[in-house]
Amino acid sequence: MRNQTVTPKAIPHIHPGRRSLIRSWQFLMLLLAILLIYGYGWRVTQINMGELFTKAHLIRPLLSSLVRPDLLTRDQEVQVARAPFLTGEGELPTLPPSTEGTSLNLSRTRGRIGDRLVVRGQGFRPNTEGVLWWENQIGQRLPMRRFKTDEQGRFTLEIAVPQTPGVEHVVIAEVSWPVGPLKPSETLKIVTERMIETVFLALMGTTIAVVVAVPLSFLGARNLMARNPVGFTIYLITRTVFNIARSIEPLIMATVFAVWVGIGPFAGVLALGVHSIAALGKLYSEQIESIDPGPIEAVMATGATPLQVVRYAVIPQIVPQFIAFTIYRWDINVRMSTVIGFVGGGGIGFILMQYINLLQWRQAATAVWAITLVVALMDYASAVIREKVI
Amino acid sequence: MEKLAFLEVEHLTKVYEDGTKALEDVSFKVERGEFVVIIGLSGSGKSTLLRCINRLVEPTSGKIYLDGVEVTALAPDELRRLRRQIGMIFQQFNLVKRASVLTNVLSGRLGYVPSIWSLVNYWPREEVQRAFLNLERVGIADKAYTRADQLSGGQQQRVGIARALMQEPKLILADEPVSALDPATSHSVLKYIEDLNREGITVLCSLHFLSLARRYGRRIIALKAGRIVFDGHPEEIDDRRFREIYGEEAVEVEIR
Repeated sequence: MRNQTVTPKAIPHIHPGRRSLIRSWQFLMLLLAILLIYGYGWRVTQINMGELFTKAHLIRPLLSSLVRPDLLTRDQEVQVARAPFLTGEGELPTLPPSTEGTSLNLSRTRGRIGDRLVVRGQGFRPNTEGVLWWENQIGQRLPMRRFKTDEQGRFTLEIAVPQTPGVEHVVIAEVSWPVGPLKPSETLKIVTERMIETVFLALMGTTIAVVVAVPLSFLGARNLMARNPVGFTIYLITRTVFNIARSIEPLIMATVFAVWVGIGPFAGVLALGVHSIAALGKLYSEQIESIDPGPIEAVMATGATPLQVVRYAVIPQIVPQFIAFTIYRWDINVRMSTVIGFVGGGGIGFILMQYINLLQWRQAATAVWAITLVVALMDYASAVIREKVI
Repeated sequence: MEKLAFLEVEHLTKVYEDGTKALEDVSFKVERGEFVVIIGLSGSGKSTLLRCINRLVEPTSGKIYLDGVEVTALAPDELRRLRRQIGMIFQQFNLVKRASVLTNVLSGRLGYVPSIWSLVNYWPREEVQRAFLNLERVGIADKAYTRADQLSGGQQQRVGIARALMQEPKLILADEPVSALDPATSHSVLKYIEDLNREGITVLCSLHFLSLARRYGRRIIALKAGRIVFDGHPEEIDDRRFREIYGEEAVEVEIR
């Protein structure tokens, strides 16, 4: 019985406009407009989900390098042996001596491009991997083969004379193996150095911001400033400057500062600093606006001086929040400073971009791991500190 | 010239900047050691009256004398010295929530200690001892190092009382000290204030509930729209008077 009280007929009476809207031409136009907007958006942003699969092989080197970043290395002992080869008339050139005890013999010393050639090496370290190079007249090296020496330290390879300019060529066999203890790789040293630069970039940017934002925030607090027209104007100007500066991305600021003071960490410090002044200034101001007037009244009532009132009733109410906001901002700035290098602001982003451009995937992987680690650590540390402070 | 009473309020008027008339021609005298309860509806001017006495609110006109001193004529420095003798207890306790109970109590002593030391929160040994003594009086010495906001409402108000006691006050102004507390806690807090009064401190205490006013006050001043409409013994407030103070619709609520 109860169900019958709400009849379907009742609905048009309750929503008289709805059905007519759906049928109206305005609704059709709106639908068409939405279709157009998203259709254009799809095209202009070149969305093509298929590429995620068809081009998967392009990302594979980076992803697989993440598993084995360039962190540690050992010194390499190298044995080199050389043998000359001519693709034309002339005297066989004299070469720098081979490593003592090793020698390289070619089945022939003259020939043409495409000729088969047997390469024999001996006197190398047994059971060790090596590379056979072909060096042309202008010193360019082509990798020919990888090989492994046998138990007597010998190897035999058959190669074809490659197509490469010049008449005088050198065939080079290089056998190398690691010796000595593991030590940090060159990449790890560079990445560590740049990571430290990055963290300090964030620190300096944040510090500059705090020093400027603390006094400014009092000018941007409505409860302090809006008591007379002059104060209210200052308050409005301060807040407007905060809002404008806050809306400009640090990356764009860094681009501008890189033009101004040159590419490098200083540009990054300035960019993070200016953006953080605005961001912190706004947060600080709001904190000052939200203080409880009760304790101020109570401390005043004890006969305290104005300075004592600030010390005992105002500061305890704002300092913990100020510290929390500052750490939060530093946290953001560390993350920001890792990418600010992309636009010339210094820090680790700069070398990460270099590694990627040079297709040095393992080195890039080292940088990516360093960023992940440091950001996660800072995140955790700031959470712990903030919890303690508030 | 006749001798002045301990506290004299003469033709006190307060008009706020927005035009609100909070007090209008209020005059009364209080002798040393009295326990005066001020009652009235919200907005009747109770808080403004108490705050005019230590000039947290500047009176528009009228005069106030405390112990022979014209409060309304004092320069800022003299006013601060006078405020040391007037303890104040607030409805919302007005503690610094993030500071320790001890720091909150010590802040009651700010008017007496040299400014420089107090700015770095350094307190002489005897002041810390005094703070512990006063905390013991209100029964919460064990909470000295707890953060103020960790305490219950009743405990926070006792911290407020201890802070007022640090001033060694001659007069205590209590602005609805129990309005934020439950009935049982209200009585315990008011008993502490009653004890202080027995020791000779004059008390001016505003209260919301007439039943509490009857129980603790030996004299009641009633305000209505910024004017005194009653000043006398609690027993003199009968039904007719009650309606005069609280309006025709009001019914008396008992708080035991």
